[in-house]
Amino acid sequence: MPLKVNVHVGARLRSAAFRLAVLQALLFALIALTLFLVSWFAARHYIENQLRQTIADEFAEVIAHPAAQRAGSIRRSLAQVPRGAYDYSLFDAHHKLIVGDIMKEPTPGWSTIEQDEGPRDGKDLVRRILVFGAVQDDGNTVVVGRDLASVDQLDALLKSVFTWAGLAAVVLALVGGMVTAGSYLRRVEAIADAASRIAAGDLAARVAVTGRGDEFDRLAFSLNSMLERIQSLVEGLRQVSNDIAHDLRTPLTHMRQRLEAAMEEATSVEAYGKACERAVADVDSVLDTFAALLRIAKVESRQRREGFADVALSALLERLVDDYRPVMEDEERPFTAAIATGLHVHGDALLLTQMLVNLLENGLHHTPLGTPVSVKLDTTEHGCRLVIEDAGAGIPSEERSRVLKRFVRLDAARSSPGSGLGLSLVAAVADLHGIALALGDANPGLRVQLDFPS
Amino acid sequence: MKILLVEDDIDTRTYVSSGLRAKGHAVDESGDGNEGLLRACAHDYDVIVLDRMLPALDGMSILKKLRGCGTQARVLMLTALGDVDARIDGMEAGADDYLGKPFALNELIARLNAISRRSAHANSMTLLRVGELELDLAMQRVHRAGKQIHLQPREWDLLKYFALHADEVVTRSMLLEHVWGFQSSPHTNLVDTHVCRLRSKIEREVGPRILRTVRGEGYMLSVKQGH
Repeated sequence: MPLKVNVHVGARLRSAAFRLAVLQALLFALIALTLFLVSWFAARHYIENQLRQTIADEFAEVIAHPAAQRAGSIRRSLAQVPRGAYDYSLFDAHHKLIVGDIMKEPTPGWSTIEQDEGPRDGKDLVRRILVFGAVQDDGNTVVVGRDLASVDQLDALLKSVFTWAGLAAVVLALVGGMVTAGSYLRRVEAIADAASRIAAGDLAARVAVTGRGDEFDRLAFSLNSMLERIQSLVEGLRQVSNDIAHDLRTPLTHMRQRLEAAMEEATSVEAYGKACERAVADVDSVLDTFAALLRIAKVESRQRREGFADVALSALLERLVDDYRPVMEDEERPFTAAIATGLHVHGDALLLTQMLVNLLENGLHHTPLGTPVSVKLDTTEHGCRLVIEDAGAGIPSEERSRVLKRFVRLDAARSSPGSGLGLSLVAAVADLHGIALALGDANPGLRVQLDFPS
Repeated sequence: MKILLVEDDIDTRTYVSSGLRAKGHAVDESGDGNEGLLRACAHDYDVIVLDRMLPALDGMSILKKLRGCGTQARVLMLTALGDVDARIDGMEAGADDYLGKPFALNELIARLNAISRRSAHANSMTLLRVGELELDLAMQRVHRAGKQIHLQPREWDLLKYFALHADEVVTRSMLLEHVWGFQSSPHTNLVDTHVCRLRSKIEREVGPRILRTVRGEGYMLSVKQGH
């Protein structure tokens, strides 16, 4: 599949990792160049110094001879077999060569000269020679030099070594970059693939976690937990839509039947009025359900957290207990309240009130008259604990998590009015406040335990 | 009362205005925020009924500007169903009361009566008198014919609210909101229980009722007969 490969290479060339690899290669090349220049200058400097030193020593040796013997000594040195490493020349005061192999008198002091040695091995040989010359007492100039071929060879060697090493570094950096880019790309592609699968409707798709525990794994993990949340929200939404449709059908059907019956059968203004009154009651119950749903949605949207403030929980609960005591008395329910004073929590007073009212109402609503209810607020290690108990029928343990969901009503409660949303709101408010809500058995009856964080 | 109704939904507007006119109030109507604001500033209304969601200029902005143009009118804000934050937002912006849609007309009328200028001056009073009852607002004490009646704190709040709105219908949801601070109505008869207890304390065993139940609407504290 050439196209696929091309696409792949194209993607690789466009990838951020590849751009980084190219940058990295350029950086390597720059480092190699700098290293070369520094070492080259250092080596040259060292070798030239060495060379000058030896030339200076040789020069000292030549001028150590008496002036009259210098020409002879130079001739002898040049005649040595094998020929020595040095070049010598002696010029007279008129710059004419007396003896030696440096043909032209250089300027006094150090200098580098180029000397044509004529054709050798088919081409002209030009020697570069480092020379030192100085005018002596007799007016002649002594010049000692040495061939720079060794230095030039070293130059060439250094240049080629560094060129190849630099090229290798750049190629390695590029290849390494491509490989790294490839491995990063594969993991990014895996995430992109999962995202497209989700966009295509497969909400259960997840990003693979390699288990290496690196940044990509952490990213995959956060994405997966986000997806988990989205999936549960979407499923919840789907469930709620079904439930709403199902739950609203009943009152709306009733209303339709009543209105239809009124149209067909009602003969008097009173009868119409009665039918209208009942229809209004049906609509009101639908509207109540909507209002409760919207309220829960609002709480679950967590916008209310911004308005959190210090709430005097003990005082709030005491007022509620005082408010409900007359109701309990009228229903002949033994009502006990043990409230630790001075407890405060961080939260929304209105919502907390609503939550506690719902719980108290729940106890009143689902138990027969005369059933005892108790409220207890106390401190714990991590904050405070509120327990509301009734001695009614309770909730079977397998149903306890279900009743917190929207529209869930136990069979026993179906006959009495209610939307099945009261405990959902309690759960939403508790969740908003970080309160641990637990439904348990009060032996007999329902025990609702709320653990407030400190 | 002279009432301005600012509401964009024509059905609601017609329903509310004809209901209010039937009760003998003078009603001006406005369908959008800008026009509503102009009218509110140009005329002297007792009460303005303001929808929160309006085209062009929303209710909250009107409310803020209203206070700037110096009108003394009381404002009742109408809010969308289930909008729990509306009350806090509206009250902070200077509304005198709010009512969630949909509402019963009787509820709206009762609330308009409660916030209208007739009862506004009561806030500065220290002594309230309803028939034989005498409420000392500073000391939080109530006397009937010179004899002190002992009330629970909530009963005192309740009686004070009734006395401030004497001769007016007070609905259950008004009581829940203004006396209890609850946002949704409980299933139990919390309000009735407390009203019943208060009644047994403030009324004489013989003689006419002064804290009456108005069927289908709420309660009324009144010493006038045949209201």
